[in-house]
Amino acid sequence: MSPSQRNGLEFVLDNLVWFMLLAVLAIFSLTIPNYFQPGIFANIVEQSSVLGVMSIGLALVIIAGHMDLSVESVAALSAMATGILFATSGIGLGITLTPGWLVVPVSLLLGLCVGAVIGLINGFLVVKIKMNAFIVTLSSFIWVRGMVVALSGGRSAQGLADEIRWLGIQRFLGIPVTAYIAILCFVGFSFMMAKTRFGRHLLMIGGNEVAAFRAGIKVEKVLMIAFVLSGAIAALAGWLLAIRTSGATANLGTGMLFNAFAAVVIGGVSLKGGLGALPGVYAGVLLLSSINTAINLMGLPAHYTQVIHGLLVLAAVLLDTLKQSIRKKLA
Amino acid sequence: MRKQLIAFGMAAMVASSAVTGIAYAQDDKGAVYYLVPTLLDEFQTGSVSALEMFLEQVGYDLTTLNADNKTDLQQSQMNDVIALAPKAIILAAVDFNALAPSVDAARAAGIPVIEFDRQISSTVSDFTSVAGTVEIGYVAADEVERLLTEKNGSVSGKVLQILGDPGDPYTLDIQKGFEEKMAAFPDVTIVTHPVLMWEASNAGTIVSDQLLANPDIDIIFSHAAHLSVAAVASLESAGKQPGDIYVMSSNGAPVALEMIRDGWMQVEVEQPLYAQAAAVAMFMDKIVAKETIEPGEYDVLGLTSVVSDEEWGPTIKIPGAAITAENVDNPAFWGNLQPPADPITSVE
Repeated sequence: MSPSQRNGLEFVLDNLVWFMLLAVLAIFSLTIPNYFQPGIFANIVEQSSVLGVMSIGLALVIIAGHMDLSVESVAALSAMATGILFATSGIGLGITLTPGWLVVPVSLLLGLCVGAVIGLINGFLVVKIKMNAFIVTLSSFIWVRGMVVALSGGRSAQGLADEIRWLGIQRFLGIPVTAYIAILCFVGFSFMMAKTRFGRHLLMIGGNEVAAFRAGIKVEKVLMIAFVLSGAIAALAGWLLAIRTSGATANLGTGMLFNAFAAVVIGGVSLKGGLGALPGVYAGVLLLSSINTAINLMGLPAHYTQVIHGLLVLAAVLLDTLKQSIRKKLA
Repeated sequence: MRKQLIAFGMAAMVASSAVTGIAYAQDDKGAVYYLVPTLLDEFQTGSVSALEMFLEQVGYDLTTLNADNKTDLQQSQMNDVIALAPKAIILAAVDFNALAPSVDAARAAGIPVIEFDRQISSTVSDFTSVAGTVEIGYVAADEVERLLTEKNGSVSGKVLQILGDPGDPYTLDIQKGFEEKMAAFPDVTIVTHPVLMWEASNAGTIVSDQLLANPDIDIIFSHAAHLSVAAVASLESAGKQPGDIYVMSSNGAPVALEMIRDGWMQVEVEQPLYAQAAAVAMFMDKIVAKETIEPGEYDVLGLTSVVSDEEWGPTIKIPGAAITAENVDNPAFWGNLQPPADPITSVE
């Protein structure tokens, strides 16, 4: 194989998920009436916003060789906190701030703090106490959702202040503002992963924690930051969820963890850690949203969404194995 | 003199509390367990408060166990509660059929079982209090008929029906009733999509997509009010104004009433939560005493309700109501969160 052929093959392997996305979009556009139109693509990007943001935090922890199952519940808690404080009906306290726009940064900051604190607890237990990340974050997944139910008493908080709702419903160039927020997050964190020492350290720790430690990397500090970031980013996802649905119910975000996982794996992040890039994760999110939209337009029963997501994850893992095998042969 | 007064006061307090205690003991007819399917929606949490209030009025203590939408957990709870031998078990089943053997086991142990809100017809129980989920579908269909006539001049158009979780018999029953009655109108196209796990943002996504695939939608009918909230957010995001597309849903949650007041929602089909709970309390003495419950009409919080003798046992059906802008402030609707002030009395 010539060097140019080898480079071409490596490029395809690195960006496989983007090719899959293009193929899926092309097939759907040709086969589903109404699919090929700007509005549908805007919807796909919009649907990707909450899931996409949640997937970023999850991907960071997985790249570092660990796991964070709490992201879905953290998102729900952040959404509920926003709802309880700033919604006007149901259990919403309807707190008003002067000037009114302050409600946006204040609610966002509050949500981020809630997420960061839970991330800190997860990180402390995993990094300092050396508990298994799977078990710790599974526990957080349960107790945090329990807190959402306890705080809300099962009731909903609806009718967010107009200043927040504006962000949830407003579009710019036909694309919802929430989608821009998600894209900005992907750009920012992709830059962080590719261009900063923290990003490189995260990849090295995920590849080989002992070697990273011996290389002088402050493993514990980097991992703690990863968990805190994961919690804060999940909280941002929850905040977006609240503004998109104009409030919060106790079951908000249910099932998103599995979709975020699917997106991360499809996006090429290795569950063993040390491998993966956030643009690929975004492509994975877009792929899932494209399929969801196709299912909605075709009128297929929603049961098939889960079937297709499950099969996609399986296919992604299979492809990952094949990619590694091809890379070994290339090397 | 002062000491005597103090002693007299203390004696009076002791006597008073003793009398109260005796009175309470006389009213305490025993423990009743309520097995609620989930506490993640307002109807269910409302049902806990309502049952607690009404059962206390007729002398029973209510303990609630949450099954968190898990069938196996609710089966275990049934087994545990049977071992505690309460006066009765009130069951709102996660899964209608899977809980039937547990109902049989409880009754075999001499514990009466009351089906609340979710009717189990595959086995016999001691009492069933329902609004009738199929009937909610009927009421919704009547309202769709009215709204389409109002909007298009005839019963024709397109309805987007948003179900709850496709694994939940509650929503499937509403769909059954709704589509059964809508079959009489061939000029109405019904586009149906389920919302996995009743999660609101999924409903918003469906509405966004369907506005592009079916821009001529006349009515969006979702099977729970919180789904309509997300649907309305998607309508707003698409630049729609209140009334451009009619919105209706079912269960009567407070948020739905707010949306009616805001003009975004035209109709909410109420599940008469207070009356359903009151009916259980009204008949509880008879159920516990295993007395026959006579079929016929009964007044339950002002609603004429019918007890019929079904093959699965005596069943009371409380009529659901359509809430519109005209009657939205009626305090009888549970969504207004004003429980009835007058205590209920047991049926003699």
